[in-house]
Amino acid sequence: MTGIDFSTILPELWLAIYALAALMAGAYFGKDRIARPILWASVLALLVAAFYIGVTERPDQVSFFGMFADDAFGRFAKVTLLLAGAAVLAMSADYMERHALLRFEYPILIVLASLGMMLMVSASDLLTLYIGLELQSLSLYVVASIRRDSAKSSEAGLKYFVLGALSSGVLLYGASLVYGFAGTTNFAGILQVVSEGELSTGLLFGLVFLLVGLAFKVSAVPFHMWTPDVYEGSPTPVTAFFATAPKVAAMALLARLMFDAFGNVVADWTQIIAFLAVLSMFLGAIAGIGQRNIKRLMAYSSIAHMGFALVGLAAGTAVGVQAMLLYMAIYAVMNVGSFAFILSMERDGRPITDLDSLNRFASAEPLKALAVLLLMFSLAGVPPLVGFWAKYGVLTAAVDGGLAWLAVAGVIASVIGAFYYLRIVYYMYFGAETEGLTSRMGAVQYAALIVPAFALLLGSITLLGLDDAAAVAAESLVGALTAAGE
Amino acid sequence: MADDYPKVDRVMGGASGWFSIALPAVLFLYFLGLVPQIAETPQVRGIEWVPSLGIGLSVLLDGLSLTFALLITGIGTAVTLYSARYLGQHPDYPRFVAYLMLFMVGMLGLVLAGNLISLFVFWEVTTIASYLLIGFNADSAKSRRSALQALLVTGTGGLILLAGMIVLGTVAGSFELVEILSQGEMLRDHPWYLAILLLFLAGAFTKSAQVPFHFWLPNAMAAPTPVSAYLHSATMVKAGVFLLARMNPALGGTEAWFWMLTLFGGVTAVFASVMSLRQTDIKQVLAYTTLMALGTLTMFIGAGTHYAIMAAMLFLVVHSLYKAALFLMIGIVDHATGTRETGVLGGLAKAMPLTGLAAALAAVSMAGIPPMVGFIGKEFMYKAGLGLGGFGAIWVTVMIFAASVMMFVVAGIVAWKPFRGELRQTPHAAHEGPWPMLAGPLVLGALSLIFGLFPGILAHYFVGPATHAVFGEVREVHLYLWGGINMALVLSLLTFLAGWLMYRRHEAIRDRLTRIEEGSRVNFDAGWDRVLDGLKALAAWQTRLIQTGNLQTYMAVIFASFTILVGATFLLRGGMGSGINYQADGIHPIQWTVLALIAMGAILATITSSRMTAVAALGVVGIGVALIFIMFSAPDVAITQLLVEVLVVVLVALVMLRLPHLPVRSASGFRAGHAAIAAAFGILSTLVMIAVLQTPFDRRLTDFFEIASWPEAHGRNIVNVILVDFRATDTFGEIVVVVIAAVGAYALLRGAPGARPTPEDEEPAQVAAADKGEKV
Amino acid sequence: MELLLALTIGVLMASSVYLMLDRNVIRFLFGLILLSNAANLVIFLSGRLTAGAPPLIDEGAYAPTGVVANALPQALVLTAIVIGFGLLAFTLALVYRTYRSLGTVNSDEMRLAEPVSAPRTTPHPDPTAAPGTPPASDPTLDKTDATTTPTGGEARA
Repeated sequence: MTGIDFSTILPELWLAIYALAALMAGAYFGKDRIARPILWASVLALLVAAFYIGVTERPDQVSFFGMFADDAFGRFAKVTLLLAGAAVLAMSADYMERHALLRFEYPILIVLASLGMMLMVSASDLLTLYIGLELQSLSLYVVASIRRDSAKSSEAGLKYFVLGALSSGVLLYGASLVYGFAGTTNFAGILQVVSEGELSTGLLFGLVFLLVGLAFKVSAVPFHMWTPDVYEGSPTPVTAFFATAPKVAAMALLARLMFDAFGNVVADWTQIIAFLAVLSMFLGAIAGIGQRNIKRLMAYSSIAHMGFALVGLAAGTAVGVQAMLLYMAIYAVMNVGSFAFILSMERDGRPITDLDSLNRFASAEPLKALAVLLLMFSLAGVPPLVGFWAKYGVLTAAVDGGLAWLAVAGVIASVIGAFYYLRIVYYMYFGAETEGLTSRMGAVQYAALIVPAFALLLGSITLLGLDDAAAVAAESLVGALTAAGE
Repeated sequence: MADDYPKVDRVMGGASGWFSIALPAVLFLYFLGLVPQIAETPQVRGIEWVPSLGIGLSVLLDGLSLTFALLITGIGTAVTLYSARYLGQHPDYPRFVAYLMLFMVGMLGLVLAGNLISLFVFWEVTTIASYLLIGFNADSAKSRRSALQALLVTGTGGLILLAGMIVLGTVAGSFELVEILSQGEMLRDHPWYLAILLLFLAGAFTKSAQVPFHFWLPNAMAAPTPVSAYLHSATMVKAGVFLLARMNPALGGTEAWFWMLTLFGGVTAVFASVMSLRQTDIKQVLAYTTLMALGTLTMFIGAGTHYAIMAAMLFLVVHSLYKAALFLMIGIVDHATGTRETGVLGGLAKAMPLTGLAAALAAVSMAGIPPMVGFIGKEFMYKAGLGLGGFGAIWVTVMIFAASVMMFVVAGIVAWKPFRGELRQTPHAAHEGPWPMLAGPLVLGALSLIFGLFPGILAHYFVGPATHAVFGEVREVHLYLWGGINMALVLSLLTFLAGWLMYRRHEAIRDRLTRIEEGSRVNFDAGWDRVLDGLKALAAWQTRLIQTGNLQTYMAVIFASFTILVGATFLLRGGMGSGINYQADGIHPIQWTVLALIAMGAILATITSSRMTAVAALGVVGIGVALIFIMFSAPDVAITQLLVEVLVVVLVALVMLRLPHLPVRSASGFRAGHAAIAAAFGILSTLVMIAVLQTPFDRRLTDFFEIASWPEAHGRNIVNVILVDFRATDTFGEIVVVVIAAVGAYALLRGAPGARPTPEDEEPAQVAAADKGEKV
Repeated sequence: MELLLALTIGVLMASSVYLMLDRNVIRFLFGLILLSNAANLVIFLSGRLTAGAPPLIDEGAYAPTGVVANALPQALVLTAIVIGFGLLAFTLALVYRTYRSLGTVNSDEMRLAEPVSAPRTTPHPDPTAAPGTPPASDPTLDKTDATTTPTGGEARA
């Protein structure tokens, strides 16, 4: 345990100070006149933080008396979530403005949420974890109901809040149980307690509670119910944000908690994770089939994808974590692209989200349709697009981890799930002639659609070097454990 | 295919047409150049692809892959030449060419892949290309459905195959084919062998349309005829057979392998040949005979003897040659006359002599009549079948005999009947096809003859090396037209006799079959629809059950699953360790009172129907908790708790005042189910808490703070030191949380709701009008 | 005492779960308040109880003399109380906002996401609460509902 070293939390401090300054600026200039400049400044602030984390070379260390871990694993997750957050924020500018939703709190809340997520992925203490989670959740509760004039948005906000508050409560309860049994809230301390004997029943309870609390956040079945309603009810830019950065953060947090605190009893928690993974993959795949609304569909899609990411985690190995990280990064890219398109779907100036409106979109806008095709194929895991490699990675990790049944289940679920992605493509290319849609996009949004789509194609050749970064990150999480265990 | 599209003026499809012809032709010549070399020694060449996942793009060149590559590029050249004329003026012809080239690349990649994963990737590329090509006439609902069906069936199989590959790769320790194929003995004895086998068979059987996954193939005939000729008879559907052949050294030779393959293959072959008699559309007839050929090939690969493998490889080439020719031929007939119905066509030999010649060459080979190569193929199949021991010999030989008879009949139906006799009235006046369309079938037909006359070429360069690759060891392959009078020849003659008799009566047989089929309730195509409907119903069912949109249901489901999860853990792990050591003495009456106050406050808040009583009861609970903190040495906490509690009560009361006319009383009265969940949860909490108390407490961290508090942070209040020094980041986070809460409340309340007239909801909200009845 | 406190925690938990399962969001809120109290007690009890010895270091000493109460859970509970309060303040704002825009605090009337066939019986909010501007159960919205095809819910056949 090393003491206080502010350089380790420089990016977090930077974002906190930025957010407070922006808040003051917003309050001072009054109302939403400067909402747009604040939005772009926030994008910049996120990018700066991502850049700083990505570029500076630092040794892995734990500071603040063991509460804050600064390692390659955290950095990988942070860069991913910051970039996703920045991309979503940037591409939502036009939409928010057109629909009179752009208020200065919105970008600031996104920044604060990102700050919370950064705390989450670096947390190495249960309380830091809880605070990071609350920080993120509170911001998200607000943005979920930011659209004050819409009944659906209010409803979504309330539902999200109620279920989210519940999950936070469960998590806190779990944390207090773990504290009660282990006498410490520090991950390293818990690891030590666990390594001295096997997992006591009491700690197992604490673990189950913590897992349930986090399962909410990654929307793993059976704690997923908020997802479709909130995805549909929230304004689309908010949905896009929900679908990307918080998922990455929650998954990273889950991995860190499991390995840093319970890394000596892998067998105990991998069973639970595998169980959640199977349920999520299947429910996400099956329930998506009946959907007619693309936002609900994306909700089920994200449930299924979280299931796959959990498969990587369930393997309980460094390879599994690597595959999981890779999966999440690729997942974020695919979702940014998909939502860039969903944001642009309108008819007569009103946003629409029903799948039927995609009919014959390909003949109207071939390039955009091709990009969406690539995104959907990748989401479905069709080779050789990157989405396939992501699935391949987690499934192989599962087999290596002795969970062949889970891999087989994953394959079957992905077969079922492929159905609804392909249906989107089908509508776009072969659909019946019906009233179409106009796809309105600014330059940024256009880039946010095209770049990910073709990155998926390009990535099929090189994986964009992501795999190496993920390997280093996974090594820093799991490798440290094995080194300490020896 | 009807010509009712706006024509674009393009000679031979323009630039894309010429490109599409040149590419396979050049590749064909390239692969042809490799033949002598590869016939001697197979080669592996490789490049890295995704090194971190251990995937290379290695290429495995041996007799099997090269034979396939030549078929793909050779027939590809014929087909592209044909379609440049057939579809060249279609407005979407460039798109067609793009799909076709995508397919060709995928198929070549599939057969040349030296690595399981790259093989799978290309496998799926062919699936997608097939989907796009079948759905090429996007205006027709039938072709859209067929396309989707083919995609789902073969795509599903492909992914199951992937599962098998992953398991196999893990067992073998490598995804490289060369390494896997050399570990056959280990693999066959491995406990996971059967799982691997079944997963692989699922992939191969769906792709190669074995019963009961066969139904997509006849439907896939909705594709333009060149596509049917190329993908759905000569190449893509043989990918499954290719896979089986490829994996034979690793997975083949077991009882399970033998019986799975011969049974499925045999049933497919006979079922398909009977079904082919039932059809009147010649393209459908051919589709079913393709099924039959695929079944035969599967059966022989399953049989696994050297002779059987050789027969399979021979028949593979033979079938590709004649079937592609026949498909192209029927396309010409369709193009020229406007129909493909056997009942309508007749006497075309005079109007279309060259087409008739091509049809005759191909059909004679199909019927297995000497001196065509088809005869050799049939002879060797009989020999291979008879050479098997025991019951297997009888099964395979009977199946082959039945299938060969049917092929003879079908050859008559597709290539004899339409051409002989008087010219009949057809939608268009029959006329000879143009040369680009005739070239392919004529060359292919001629090859059937040449190989029949000179079987040595075939044996030395193609069938021999391919058999070697599949069988795994080198043995001499000798093909001949005349093998003396033996059992096979006798069977051949019997085949001709039976075939001729059946051909004479084929129309009566067809009527009979139609009646049987109409009476039968087994319909695979409808079954497929039921599977899809079932999936949709399942999706809707889970929505009704879990995703009701009702927060109350969500909460109940969550609490229930949670309670079950924790309760199950408790039971399984034997929950309580030692007994409870309970000492009632030493509890001060004040403590009793406080605890009773808390419990009563909580219960009162639950049962009261007045919101103000509830708020007051909550206040009592809060104050009780604060008293507990005071009693047990936490004065700071108690003060904060009291302050916060007062604030909470005031705030809640304030909000209550702003929400008029809304009774807090539960509208639904007492809810027994919820009460059960709540009680279970409460009991579990107590039990878990007791379990906590029974564990000896680990004071290490506490001791650390007590010792470090003054020396490191110069604080005498340890709680404060922990908060501001040791847990500074938490406190920092805590402050930000409060800030966010304030911002959030501000954001929510700023500007009265509804102040701005808004266009609409995000989506047209549907409440009252939405009728659940019209939802699936 | 510990055992009795554990029992009290059980009662608090059960009451809060029952309240949280109510369809009235205000009662959910009450449940949440109870739950946070219960959670605080769990943390506090997990650190074990010590009567009459606050975790203070005497003047002049370097470490506590004698046994003092466990300071760590107290710090944790303090943090949790503050966060809980922030959360609660936010909840109140949210409930109020929701009422203003949906005109109800009953969660089973919040069914825009998965509509049911039963006609919605939204009580019209008190006009004094939002003068002149009826919240989202505004008739224009309902009219849209009646005329447009359902898109948000599940697929039609």
